Amino acid sequence: MKVVGARLPRYDGVGHVTGRTTYVDDVRLPGMLHAAALRSPHHNARIIDVDTGPAEAMAGVRAVITHADVPTLVYGHLSGAGIDGDEPLLAKDFVRYKGQPIALVAADSVQIARAACDAIVVDYEELPTLLDVRLAFEDGAPVVNDRFGNWYKEFEGGLEARQIRKGDIDRAFDDADLIVEGVYRTQAVEQAPLETQVCVAVPEPDGRLTIHTCTQALYFSLGVVCAHLELPMSKVKMVGGTVGGGFGGKVDTASDTLAALAARKSGLPVKWRWTREEEMLASSTRGPWHMEIIDAVTSDGWILGRKMLTLHDAGAYGRFSVYGLTKHSFHHTGAYTIPNLHFDGYVVFTNRIPTSAMRGYGVTGLSTAIEVHTERVANELGMDPYEFRLKNANRVNDTSPNRIAYEDPSTVEVLQSIAAATGTELDGSLRAMTRGERTDDLLPDHLVGQIAQGGHG
Amino acid sequence: MDLVVNAVSHEVDSAPLTSLLEVLREELDITGPKAGCETGGCGACTVLIDGEPRRSCLTALCMAEGREVTTVEGLGTPEALSAVQQAFIHHYAAQCGFCTSGMIVASSAYVDRGGSPDTGAIQEALGGHYCRCTGYVKILDAVAAVARGDDADTMSTAASPTSSYVSIGGTGNGGGGAA
Ligand code: FES
Ligand code: FES
Repeated sequence: MKVVGARLPRYDGVGHVTGRTTYVDDVRLPGMLHAAALRSPHHNARIIDVDTGPAEAMAGVRAVITHADVPTLVYGHLSGAGIDGDEPLLAKDFVRYKGQPIALVAADSVQIARAACDAIVVDYEELPTLLDVRLAFEDGAPVVNDRFGNWYKEFEGGLEARQIRKGDIDRAFDDADLIVEGVYRTQAVEQAPLETQVCVAVPEPDGRLTIHTCTQALYFSLGVVCAHLELPMSKVKMVGGTVGGGFGGKVDTASDTLAALAARKSGLPVKWRWTREEEMLASSTRGPWHMEIIDAVTSDGWILGRKMLTLHDAGAYGRFSVYGLTKHSFHHTGAYTIPNLHFDGYVVFTNRIPTSAMRGYGVTGLSTAIEVHTERVANELGMDPYEFRLKNANRVNDTSPNRIAYEDPSTVEVLQSIAAATGTELDGSLRAMTRGERTDDLLPDHLVGQIAQGGHG
Repeated sequence: MDLVVNAVSHEVDSAPLTSLLEVLREELDITGPKAGCETGGCGACTVLIDGEPRRSCLTALCMAEGREVTTVEGLGTPEALSAVQQAFIHHYAAQCGFCTSGMIVASSAYVDRGGSPDTGAIQEALGGHYCRCTGYVKILDAVAAVARGDDADTMSTAASPTSSYVSIGGTGNGGGGAA
């Protein structure tokens, strides 16, 4: 084997260290225009009128794009999975978050494009805003999302929440020696790649489009562009793979579609590079999560059951949030096995930037909540947190909330490694634990039923 | 106006207060310096002016007139890599590579001044440079290796980071095996 275990040089290393790697912003073509966006200054407003006339009249302006130029205005990031779109590519009747794009201008220089955006006259009627997920369910709360209201209501079976029901939750709480409750809230985080969103769209003489893209998900973005433009995929060629950092922030198709529309309208290549300010204020972030956990535990350190309520702040539109929340629900016991579960999770809309992936979509904030909660439970029981964690840690053939058998869970070894790295002396019995299937003392009656039977689920 | 970049003299048309970054990238098509923020915050646009690292996004063209501007392209070529460039490859100090031009320029100035392999001193020299990918440890390792005069093998990648910046002891690169 020449590759496995070898320390190979990276194939793009020489390009990176000599400044020769061609990132999207380094692409330059004859006649290339530069684009800028007009974005909403309001969190929530009705658009009464948009007058692009002054911008179109400016010297050097080659194309102004509004909602009227988009063949399919609303297409959802999860439309391909049967979840309706809710987000117009450019705002039409309402803006629902500060920074939402209303128009794109392509001009001979970025300075002209920006000046033209400033010249567009928009008449807004400001509306009350909803910025806290906990207020979304109140009577009279401002309505954020024109398709779904203030929360997504179309989970399978017509459910308004992603639900998980496993085992017998009432019995778990009846049998508990101690009940521990906690509420955990994490905030939005901008992925902040050094390369901001950027795209170069090129109209080809044969009617096709070439798009130099910084997307992290090239074939996904191809589908999104083609859906909005109503083009077969054979008409669009995406050139990608050289990304100046993404971290989840370049999964959403943020710039490709609009640049493509401007390129088609002007007949010239269009580059659209977001400013750092736009990247920080208007590109998708990791979502904030509101998590309420109630655990039923025994005095000898078993978690019999968990009730959990999650409000996922999706921002103004759904994008991938239904997926993120579903993943969250599958992981809501973290690295531990809990046989009786009652989970309700809502995708809630607020007048904030739509949220998306970032390094462990739906799970990272959850892990924080679970680990803090786990520590609290151990403390309330007066038990060593390592012992409490190692006892409940996932073992081979334990099952996840959605009943997938863990084939090779590493929790036990990870905990042992953390103890070693931090100089924590573990008891001999804890040091001897392995990930192997539960037996004897590690298999009390309440955990028998959840073990996967007959191979992996 | 005349602008000397990487020992080549260019006649440029941009207005005197245009940022040097914009002149390099948009007028001269020298794209090594990157526009990460254009407000002096990230370091990706760093070039040398008379050997000193400077943010080209905050430097007006007229400030660079009559002086020697060096970008990453002027520090080495794929055929003739500088010691810093070799070390960045060997130590895997470039991941997405977008911060790398600025990092290499600033690191080159540091080692050319005879900077020490001391982690704290390198951190000070690279303090204004953001890298969102590498976690910095490998960059510090690469610069320290050059400051020590280590040979770098660009046909392989170094073993796990050795920098004293790694403060949690033990396993080094986070390899997770059982204790
Ligand atoms: S682009 Fe100059 S410091 Fe960021
Ligand atoms: S390598 Fe990506 S920002 Fe440094």
